Amino acid sequence: MKKLNRRNFIKGSLAGGIATVAASGKAKKASAAGGDFGGYPESMGVLVDMTKCVGCRTCEAACNKEQGLPEPDKPFDDYSVFDEHRHGGLPRRTTEKAYTVVNRYNVEGRDHPLFRKFQCNHCNEPACLTSCFVNAYTKTPEGAVIYNPKVCVGCRTCMVACPFYVPAYSFTSAINPVVKKCIMCYDTRLKFGRPPACVESCPQGVMTFGKRKDLIALAHQKIEGNPGKYVDHLYGEHEVGGTSWMYLSDVPFDKIGFDMHLGKEPIISYVKDFLAMVPMVLCIWPALFTGFHLLSTRKQANKEESPKA
Amino acid sequence: MGLKTGKQVGLAALIAMAAPLVLPFSVHGEVFELSSLANLYEGVSFDHDMHIEALEDDCSLCHHHTAGTPPEEPTCIPCHKNSPEADSPACSSCHLIEPFSSANLAISEKNPLLHHKAKPGLKAAFHQNCMGCHQETGGPVGCQDCHAMTEKGEKFYNTGKYAPKPHTETGHH
Amino acid sequence: MKKLIAEGFQPIDTLIKPNTNNPWSWKDKLFLGLSPKDYMKQLFRNPFNWILAIIYAVGIPILVGRFIFGLGWATHGSYDYPWGLFLGWGLFVMVPLSASGFMMGTTVELFGRKDFKPIERLGLLNGLLGYFFAVVFLQVDLGQPWRLVYPMFVSLGPAAVLFLVAWHVATYLSVQIAELVPATSELMGWVKPKKFIKSIVLGLTIAGIILSTLHQGALGALFTYAPGKVHPLWYSAAFQWFHFFCSSIFGGLSMLIVVSTLSKWFLQWRCDANFSKNLDKITLGIAKGCSMALITYLVIKLVALAHDNEWGYLLTSWGQLYIFEIIAGSIVPLVFFTMAIRTGRAGLARFAAFIAVFGIALNRLNTALIAFNWHLYQEIPHWREFVIAIMVYATYIVVYRAVLYRLPILYTWQGDSK
Repeated sequence: MKKLNRRNFIKGSLAGGIATVAASGKAKKASAAGGDFGGYPESMGVLVDMTKCVGCRTCEAACNKEQGLPEPDKPFDDYSVFDEHRHGGLPRRTTEKAYTVVNRYNVEGRDHPLFRKFQCNHCNEPACLTSCFVNAYTKTPEGAVIYNPKVCVGCRTCMVACPFYVPAYSFTSAINPVVKKCIMCYDTRLKFGRPPACVESCPQGVMTFGKRKDLIALAHQKIEGNPGKYVDHLYGEHEVGGTSWMYLSDVPFDKIGFDMHLGKEPIISYVKDFLAMVPMVLCIWPALFTGFHLLSTRKQANKEESPKA
Repeated sequence: MGLKTGKQVGLAALIAMAAPLVLPFSVHGEVFELSSLANLYEGVSFDHDMHIEALEDDCSLCHHHTAGTPPEEPTCIPCHKNSPEADSPACSSCHLIEPFSSANLAISEKNPLLHHKAKPGLKAAFHQNCMGCHQETGGPVGCQDCHAMTEKGEKFYNTGKYAPKPHTETGHH
Repeated sequence: MKKLIAEGFQPIDTLIKPNTNNPWSWKDKLFLGLSPKDYMKQLFRNPFNWILAIIYAVGIPILVGRFIFGLGWATHGSYDYPWGLFLGWGLFVMVPLSASGFMMGTTVELFGRKDFKPIERLGLLNGLLGYFFAVVFLQVDLGQPWRLVYPMFVSLGPAAVLFLVAWHVATYLSVQIAELVPATSELMGWVKPKKFIKSIVLGLTIAGIILSTLHQGALGALFTYAPGKVHPLWYSAAFQWFHFFCSSIFGGLSMLIVVSTLSKWFLQWRCDANFSKNLDKITLGIAKGCSMALITYLVIKLVALAHDNEWGYLLTSWGQLYIFEIIAGSIVPLVFFTMAIRTGRAGLARFAAFIAVFGIALNRLNTALIAFNWHLYQEIPHWREFVIAIMVYATYIVVYRAVLYRLPILYTWQGDSK
């Protein structure tokens, strides 16, 4: 809430429309980011137990119907998609037509392949949100990271910033291209206290919907209660400042395409070095360079004065 | 700031249609229809007798501790090792049809026992219970091996007569 | 044009027609004092214009196609590679090469180095046009270019680095336009605007320094949003903005040497004695600035390597590209600049400037495209992307040339004395 007020305040201060004011407002935001936001305490989340997923793709179908997405290229019960690869031999990813995809990983030493559901992780401090210069993204108190297509300019910085490569863009549209990503069914379900469509549709109960803090406790209890079953890591608990979607696996996460080098800091913290420098330049530069000017033109000034004297 | 677009697809019907499961069956000699959740798929004709035979009368393999036998799950044992037979051994007496509805979430939040929060919903309980065993014992594991897809299901999965027309356009990579 | 000059043609550099009392009309000013027919003749005589014609013949339909069929048709922009050549080249390369405006403003107006006066306006113009066309490139790349003003007035995201870039580039464009008002005033015969700008020139210059420091740095800071995507050798959370800012100093100055050299070669008729005679001396002076910025840049690059302990990467193939960029793009021009200053050879400094401009372009393209997504795969821009980029850049050259033909940039206006 504090964050929102501050943003409103800055909006007000910008009404003057002076760049320098904007820049100092920015500095304030930088310090706000410095004080670790950490997410809304009551926010909801989803715990994904990947050991249970059988790769039926029902969640993909449910997402498609719930979000009114275009017809898929192949039926949702066509499992040949698991053999598809995008550029660079990489597994399928979210697109403008699919906000979630399930990928199959054949892991050595595991009897069955492991299936991994992929969608927006709904970060506590989303990189897309903090990098957006028109404030198109909002982290709702319920935990969803939602997007306002009406103000999006289409700079696509959010796609550059997202550490999980989630946002897709309707490159095919010339008239109204927008970012396409999972919004945790905010409009149709989450807002009314209901779980996302994919969670509800899952026949295997892979996903548990609940308060994020409860899910964290539950996940750790699952890890401890089943010694040897799970890898002792809850992916998303701390990654890039914590995410609303979290994952349990029985094989090391880096073997199933999870980036294990993201660190615990939210992405905005990497930008702070620069943001901290902004007010410094704004305050010091004018004085410094006026001083330089006076010094370097002193001789000239003296020359001009001396004939008079 | 909220999105006003986004179609309301009546997926809620998927689960909400299901009526509480009341199964009039005796322990032996029954083939009954598990159809309370039937929606995208038809109900399952479940041969209870055959399963009892195949599992050599070990009820607990499916009915955890509710049939009076000790539980198998390591997380259940500490509390339930001496639990008596439950009033109803039916899956639906414990496993909720809507585990994540606001009302049910409010109840489970008050429950201090974390393990119960991980309790799967009815649909998940069916599938986990059946599939877990079928994978090990060579039972049917394909979706339509147990229940045929309904027309609604074909629409949902964009398959059958609702399958996308084959086209060469691969879309954007 | 050479032919015309040989025939005794005198391009306009005064308000009043020689040997008369009549002022030049706007039409005369537009056609450089030639008749429209003669003007067209010289246009067709110039082989460069024929190359331009080919570029436009191919480029315009493709640019139109980009706005009809969308970015997906014209570019290889993808979900993994949201940015391509339009931003990689048009924004990230063009902006540092346009830092000359604030550098020359600072040198002449702030430090009072009047000896650089003959090239000051060229520096300012190079800055203005570079920024303006960076915005043009941005407009080609944005999904919804008609919403360009949204970050200013409709929906503000002040926490974003790009917000700062947008505001500062917009403000700085106005500052640069203001700084070039005197040149325009002379041509148009205005008196008041020139006087007014003269009175606030120090303020404008300091505003220019602040805005430049911040947005040149901010372009670098944009990549700090992608710590896992930009290769560690091109990434430094602590120093990224300084790398971009510091390299923009020698980038802008080198570009100024390049442009002045091209003017000397191809627009000799438009350069007056004040410009031509002083150019060698000025070039060496700018070379001094370049070499100092280059040394600083190299040191900070080294510090960044040590700070993040990235020595191991130098042994990989990415390390080879990095070492090539540092040696060919920074150390070689530094050596040549230094030799040029020692021996007083302006020609060598010019050669060094060309290499330094290449070095900057390579660095920015490496950061934005080549070493981006280094652990995924490499994307080669679509041929249509190249065509559009070449066409927009050609337009930049056309506008640049048209302004140099007319405004008193390379020559001194004779009207003031009258």
